[in-house]
Amino acid sequence: MKIIFALLIIVFLAFSGYHLTFRGFKLPLFAREFYLKGTEFLFLGLILGPSFLNLLDTETMRGLEPVGALVLGWIGLLFGFQFEITRLRRFPLDFFTAALLESLLTFAVVFWSVYLTLPMITDISGTMRLVVSLTLSAAAACTAQTGVALLTPDFTERHGKTVGILRYVSSIDGLSALVIFAVVFFFKEPSISGFYWIGDLAMGTVFSFVISMGLVFLYIIFIASHRDEKELALVVIAMAVLTSGIASLLHFSPLVTNFFVGFCLVNFCRRKERLFKIFVGVEKPVYLLLLVFLGASWTLDSPWLIVLAALYCLCRFGGKLFGGFLVTRLNPELRSYPPHIGFGLLDQGGLPLAILFDFQRGISCDIAAGVISLVLLAVIYNEFLGPYLLVRLLKEAK
Amino acid sequence: MAELHQSKKNLIMYILTLFVVTLFALWLRRLDIESSWQLAGMINFSLGFVMLAAYMSAQILKIARLPLISGYIIVGIIAGPYVSGFLTDDMIDRFGFINDIALSFIALTAGGALHLQMLRKRRKIIVLNIVLLTVVVFGFVFTFFAFMGSHFNFTGNLASPQIIAFAVLIGVVAVARSPSSAIAIISESRASGPFTETVLGVTIAMDVLIIILFTIAVTAARIFVGGSEMPDTHVFVAVSTELVISFFLGALLGKGIALYIDRIRHNLPLFLLFLAFGVSKLSLWLNNGIEIHFDVYLHLKPLLICMGAGFTVQNFSKTGAYFMDNLDRVSLPVYVLFFSLAGASLNFEALKVCWMLALCLAIVRVAGIFCATWLAGTIAGDPPLHNRTAWMAYLTQAGVAIGLAQIAESEFPGIGVYLTTVILALIFVNQLVGPVTFKTVLNLVGESKVR
Repeated sequence: MKIIFALLIIVFLAFSGYHLTFRGFKLPLFAREFYLKGTEFLFLGLILGPSFLNLLDTETMRGLEPVGALVLGWIGLLFGFQFEITRLRRFPLDFFTAALLESLLTFAVVFWSVYLTLPMITDISGTMRLVVSLTLSAAAACTAQTGVALLTPDFTERHGKTVGILRYVSSIDGLSALVIFAVVFFFKEPSISGFYWIGDLAMGTVFSFVISMGLVFLYIIFIASHRDEKELALVVIAMAVLTSGIASLLHFSPLVTNFFVGFCLVNFCRRKERLFKIFVGVEKPVYLLLLVFLGASWTLDSPWLIVLAALYCLCRFGGKLFGGFLVTRLNPELRSYPPHIGFGLLDQGGLPLAILFDFQRGISCDIAAGVISLVLLAVIYNEFLGPYLLVRLLKEAK
Repeated sequence: MAELHQSKKNLIMYILTLFVVTLFALWLRRLDIESSWQLAGMINFSLGFVMLAAYMSAQILKIARLPLISGYIIVGIIAGPYVSGFLTDDMIDRFGFINDIALSFIALTAGGALHLQMLRKRRKIIVLNIVLLTVVVFGFVFTFFAFMGSHFNFTGNLASPQIIAFAVLIGVVAVARSPSSAIAIISESRASGPFTETVLGVTIAMDVLIIILFTIAVTAARIFVGGSEMPDTHVFVAVSTELVISFFLGALLGKGIALYIDRIRHNLPLFLLFLAFGVSKLSLWLNNGIEIHFDVYLHLKPLLICMGAGFTVQNFSKTGAYFMDNLDRVSLPVYVLFFSLAGASLNFEALKVCWMLALCLAIVRVAGIFCATWLAGTIAGDPPLHNRTAWMAYLTQAGVAIGLAQIAESEFPGIGVYLTTVILALIFVNQLVGPVTFKTVLNLVGESKVR
């Protein structure tokens, strides 16, 4: 009964909430930033989850497995669709390298901070220490576009140049995070001794590539002949679930596999616009469902998590600031941009949350609940901090 | 010529794709499952695979002018636990919520497909069909089984009162039909016209009527099996109350949907899909809650609520056309899932055990349906072509009949297992043949827009 009631509430609220969240629902000014990004759905998930109503318990989540697979697949495909090479070429290559460098530097700062701190906080095995560090740093490396997207047209017009690079970086910097996160799925052994895992990684990469190409081939066959919207929607839904299923079966990331498939489709498929229309059609409800699912895994067992999340946030902030500073100072072409451009890259929704959801589903880890709670708290901190610093950056920019 | 060439090209492409997907599936099935995550992956993969395979098989069958749902059902049977075992019983159970969504969704479509104006015009023929189908089909099947039941190996060991009780119950189940299949085929054929409206009106009305008829049949069968127990009038009052409340709630919901369309409009297919599922499950939740807290056994019928809602939007608001158009946009994934899972649930074992009895019952049922529809059409003055062929539209049977069989099994432990087996075998036959004949008759009477 719970599974049914839970799904009912989730899907209904996710859908109806989409209208309130993304269609200009008026709220008091102080709450608007927070509400407009849909973060309240994390709290809805929290209420439905084991911490309160326990409607979304483990058994229920198991029953909702195909929905979770679809959500991850959908987000992965959509993210892959952002990497259309011909579109990316319209921007200077410096932007691309800046985005990757900024996210890699953030990753490095957060990774080492987490990796060195973890043994002090919890008793964790070597492999898990690496896996958790990689996941947390991958989630920290990417930026959500919502902050920039919610800027007023007036602001966007006045600071077009800075807003442009912020938009570009926030849509691209998830690439390195996703590649790093993919590595997490190759650590299957209880502990790391020596470097044999590098062989596994290489084999796994080749294997995953071949499988992904097979899936892309399937997509292309399906889409080759003209199909109406209903048929395309069916093919996309079935393929997203199938791809996620194959990835899980082969112990790989559904998010990354779907991302790769999406990337190939947008670059090699002639009917990509029709596909994109279908993906975008339910993007927001899918995102809100993701928030609810993650919110349900949120535990508030330890008050220390609040402090740890603040520290994690601080590390990420340091990484973004450092990364932003370096890319704008090292590259003469980007010197005209403000050195503290990292202020505008603090929003942490979308892809980082999908990474976290994938981690929760795919990696069996004792401290998974803690990791999720930590990132969710960090997301909320950033929701408050991000807009303020973004506005400050733009006001100071030329 | 060009059309033929395109058909050939499509056929080759579908067969090739199906072959590639199946190879992929066979290879993945050989992998060892070591963790719960991999198991979840297998479940997701299986769901995606069945959807794709069902879709492609249906497209192949479509070239041979067979209905799409036959393709979905056949793939379901092949993938199901009784043939290849690709979909296990456990997986089918886990996909139960998808069935619920689909059923409620189909019920919304069924309600929306009924036009009050057309129903008024066709009132006479609809009423005649309902009455005659009920009386004649029940009469034929009851008589056949009452006299011949003891001659079949499968039911040969039942005592005479049990044979009579069995005959009453199977007679009523034979009257049931499948609105979901009817809606799917009408939707696929984009059929419209007096014949289609009559079939739809009769099928949906019988879906409501069957609940009352079955209650009467259970009471009668209990008398035969258990001796002199008299019928309990409270049961009929309760059933009628459930139906009335369900329709009332459906009307309210329909008004709500109309309001949503009027005020918001965005993403209606998603809204309806969620709503369909919500109604189905909320009514279950309410039923349980009322039973636990107030000790009142009220069983609201989600299907009737959804049908009522669809009917209200179509006939008592200005948003009917928009509503139906949006339902149609999400219909394909719903139908593919619902009918392939229905196919996977069809009990092949039951058919193996009592195929001869099921086949005989199916033939007798067809004879009953033919007589009833021919008589109804002739009395009402319908065109002779309609009268001769109308029987072909009433063969499909699915969910309701299975539900009735399950209730009978729990009510009559002595004959319940036999009854369920025979009904499942009968449904197997009817669900394979019914969609094909239904699509054929829509073409014959010229109301199908897609050939």
